Amino acid sequence: MNPLLAQFLAEANDLLASVDDGLLQLERNPGDPELVNEVFRAAHTFKGSSGLFDFPELTRLTHAAEDLLDAVRGGRLALDSGMADDLLAAFDLIRGWLAHVTAHERLPATAGQDAAGLITKLRAPLGGETVATDQGQEPSAVRRIDPPPEWLAPLGTEWLIETAAWLSTTASTLRFVRYLPDQDCFFRAEDPLHLVRQVPGLDRMTVIRPEQWPPREEYDEYACLLSFVVATRASTGELEYLFRYVPDQISIVELDGAAINRHLEGEEAEDLETVPAAAPDALHVDARLAADARAVLTAAHRTLAVGEPTGTQLLALIGSVTSAALALGVPLDLTGADREAVNAAVEGVLGRAPIEPAATPPAVDHPVLAALAAPPAATPAGAPADLPAARADDPGGQVGTRVLKVDQEKVDRLMELVGELNVAKNGLTFLAAAAEEEFGSRALSRRIKDQYSGMHRIAEELQAAVMDVRMLPLSVAFGRFPRLVRDLSRRLGKTIELVTEGDDTMADKDVIEALGDPLVHLVRNSLDHGIETSDERIAAGKPGTARLTLAAVADGDAVLVEVSDDGRGVDPMRVKRKAYEKGLISEEELESLSDTEAVDLVFRAGFSTADQISDLSGRGVGMDAVRASVEKLGGTVTMRSELGSGTVTRLRLPLSMAVTQVMVVSVAGQRFGVPVDLVVETVRVPAAEMGRVLHQDVVVMRGEVVPVIDLARALQMPWAPDDSRDRAVLIVSVNGQRVGLLVEQFHREVDVILKPMEGLLAYADEFSGTALLGDGLVLLVLNLKEVLGLAARAA
Amino acid sequence: MPLELHDENASLIGVVTVDEVEQLVGWLRSSQRPRVSLRRCNHLHTGALQALLLFRPKISAAPKDAFLAAQVLPLLTGAGGDTSRQGNEPP
Amino acid sequence: MTRVLVVDDAATVRLYHTSLLQEAGFEVAEAANGLEAVEAAMTTPFDLFVVDVNMPKMNGYACVETLRSETVGTAAPVLMISTEDRPGDADRAYQAGANLYMVKPVDAERLVRVATMLTSGKGPAA
Repeated sequence: MNPLLAQFLAEANDLLASVDDGLLQLERNPGDPELVNEVFRAAHTFKGSSGLFDFPELTRLTHAAEDLLDAVRGGRLALDSGMADDLLAAFDLIRGWLAHVTAHERLPATAGQDAAGLITKLRAPLGGETVATDQGQEPSAVRRIDPPPEWLAPLGTEWLIETAAWLSTTASTLRFVRYLPDQDCFFRAEDPLHLVRQVPGLDRMTVIRPEQWPPREEYDEYACLLSFVVATRASTGELEYLFRYVPDQISIVELDGAAINRHLEGEEAEDLETVPAAAPDALHVDARLAADARAVLTAAHRTLAVGEPTGTQLLALIGSVTSAALALGVPLDLTGADREAVNAAVEGVLGRAPIEPAATPPAVDHPVLAALAAPPAATPAGAPADLPAARADDPGGQVGTRVLKVDQEKVDRLMELVGELNVAKNGLTFLAAAAEEEFGSRALSRRIKDQYSGMHRIAEELQAAVMDVRMLPLSVAFGRFPRLVRDLSRRLGKTIELVTEGDDTMADKDVIEALGDPLVHLVRNSLDHGIETSDERIAAGKPGTARLTLAAVADGDAVLVEVSDDGRGVDPMRVKRKAYEKGLISEEELESLSDTEAVDLVFRAGFSTADQISDLSGRGVGMDAVRASVEKLGGTVTMRSELGSGTVTRLRLPLSMAVTQVMVVSVAGQRFGVPVDLVVETVRVPAAEMGRVLHQDVVVMRGEVVPVIDLARALQMPWAPDDSRDRAVLIVSVNGQRVGLLVEQFHREVDVILKPMEGLLAYADEFSGTALLGDGLVLLVLNLKEVLGLAARAA
Repeated sequence: MPLELHDENASLIGVVTVDEVEQLVGWLRSSQRPRVSLRRCNHLHTGALQALLLFRPKISAAPKDAFLAAQVLPLLTGAGGDTSRQGNEPP
Repeated sequence: MTRVLVVDDAATVRLYHTSLLQEAGFEVAEAANGLEAVEAAMTTPFDLFVVDVNMPKMNGYACVETLRSETVGTAAPVLMISTEDRPGDADRAYQAGANLYMVKPVDAERLVRVATMLTSGKGPAA
């Protein structure tokens, strides 16, 4: 992909996020000028950048959005939720387009059609400027480009140059109308200016005055002496309709950039002949360069008319005039010239009659040139007191810090390399053991171990640094909710205020990403089932507006995320009855379960309390899915609820899941990893002390009976413990329960990068992933919950 | 009333129609240093625009109307306002 | 080597202008807003500035005014390139000290042509 387009897509992504965010905030604080300005700027940047590509629909749509936002910014319109809906829809459409652009590097074929309705809607509050059923959307083969008429000139060379460039870049056209009203049209109750102001999509209007005004005494105010040239985006059909009563007084042409350039070149060639004879080369000057040079001179002329350049500004003006004149083949020496002299020189080169200086009288000779002779003292950095200071509360205010945008894949690659480094580093411990055991050199073994610990420290720091790069604020995960809550609450007819807390809490990007779906589910659940309608709330003596809070807080190496609402809460009795009806709990449990345990039942597979399934939560996915996906991340989920006053669901997730510490054990000569988090302790128990209760091997530890599972049997591996040796039992804690795993041997703990199971093993639930060990072997890491399930089935 | 005329100051208010043009021209002819406020003007008839272009009063207040402000005001105040010369100079 | 400072808050537009000018043989530095541009200009002399209008922190007009003021004091030519095409915008640019006001997107050849013209003092080499 062309790098410019790649840059645009990356920038567009950021812009879309800030537009969404800004619009939602705006709805809450409609008056906030800072917010309006932010959204406007994003739309504006979008429009400007989109013009660099052949995406005319994108430019048109963002232009319409920008115009609407500009009206809001200027206080001419108040943003209502209908407009916000249309704006959000427009940017949603753009988001879809950009996905298409990412894949195909062009807009979808339906873009023009899709945009048309939205553009009309966006323009409606601005007085419903009808959007041209645009020629731009017709296949270009059908488009008729007229030869450029002479009467374009009054639009101004500079404007024509710029417009031609724009039309060429966007491969679009403009319609130009010349309107020569009859002299006596006023008597027919015609008002040409009124007609012109009704031209839709008016881009530029210019009024042509008579070559010669009559003397004031003889002026007949009822004779129309003016005529008009107009550039518009409206279609020819629209224009013909508008001017239907004066068809003989108008000419309409459709021109593209090339046609306008032909006009300019023709004009320039003529104009160049008027350049003073001192320029023999003039006719050989590239017409386009000549046009540019004239534009610079025109700019200088204008500058002298509207301002009083002095000092460096005048010096710069002289510089640009000299360069431009030279480009036209007119060498000028304006060293030390004052404004009047520069003005005269400019007019000379442009071939214009000198005009009376503008209302401001020429100032008496400024001592500027003397001042210019001395180079301006460079002010030391930090000194400029007149620079507007960045707002203190502006989060982007730290000028100078460069934020590097890095492709996510590169960070992932770095993480992988850190993992491989860890693995290579772990290899040293094998080497140390070999040095001692195979070569009998304890000294060498020690030196290798020293090297290892040095590398270990660096590898750990490197890992921490990379992990830090991967950290993202929770605001990334929370970002989608303002929109979601807004849309859903409107559909449900509930009034809900969303509050987020701890948005700046950081967690690994994988955690943030994986958090998305469970959070959406919890929030939808809250909106759908937890929060009552305003009427119900008021009847229950609560404020009509419900409150939904998303909060995050760091807790050691974990992050806690809570979704809480002040809705109706979970009724433990109802949950228990439902669970009983569905056969999830026994009659005994129906009686004995505490309220807390009852609430926890909602996480059971196949449980759903909603009597009727709404279209929001959908069918089939329940809270059990939330628990499963959170547990897959190595986290836990719990729910507290008080009937009538609300529900809090708390997710506890590891801050990072890139590196896992595992304890290596082996059975039947095969090594397995067990996440260290789950390991309580390792014990060796004489065979004779193993007990048996109800067909279950147990071990008694400090008075507690701990069931022991034979890992080999659970995994169906051929191995039986040697009765002459002590039993190696790994005590783990799963779901708050202590369980012993009977293994053949304990090995060391290692840091591994866990990779998901792939290929044939992908369906083997008893493993949570694979990791590469230092000696090149692949380690299977156990999913203990599943292993316990297997053991229970095997028993 | 679309026209509020004083000795040297005038305000054009609302929609100035062809019926007001004669009165406006009379005032422009008689006034020494006419100044015209367009602030509250929403539209002016081509005849009125033409008169302003010929007599070139000083515009004392810009119109609030978007079309007049964007397209018409520059004609009345801009550098292209030199009446003696170019009939076809870009505004 | 002719040094140009491209000032624009839109990264895509910045990249567009930068790569056009680099291909034409200019040495290009970038700034994302007026304030950055002023800071850059205080430490490094530039032969040309290409400045956007609508930018956060310090807009193009203020930026050009500051470049021309004693704070920076550069007489290097300034091109202002804006998406705005409203009457009066060009005048504001000229009053601030710009030497040419152009409307986005600027034709690639034209940008290079104007930049070359304004920095060489001799027009293009050819």
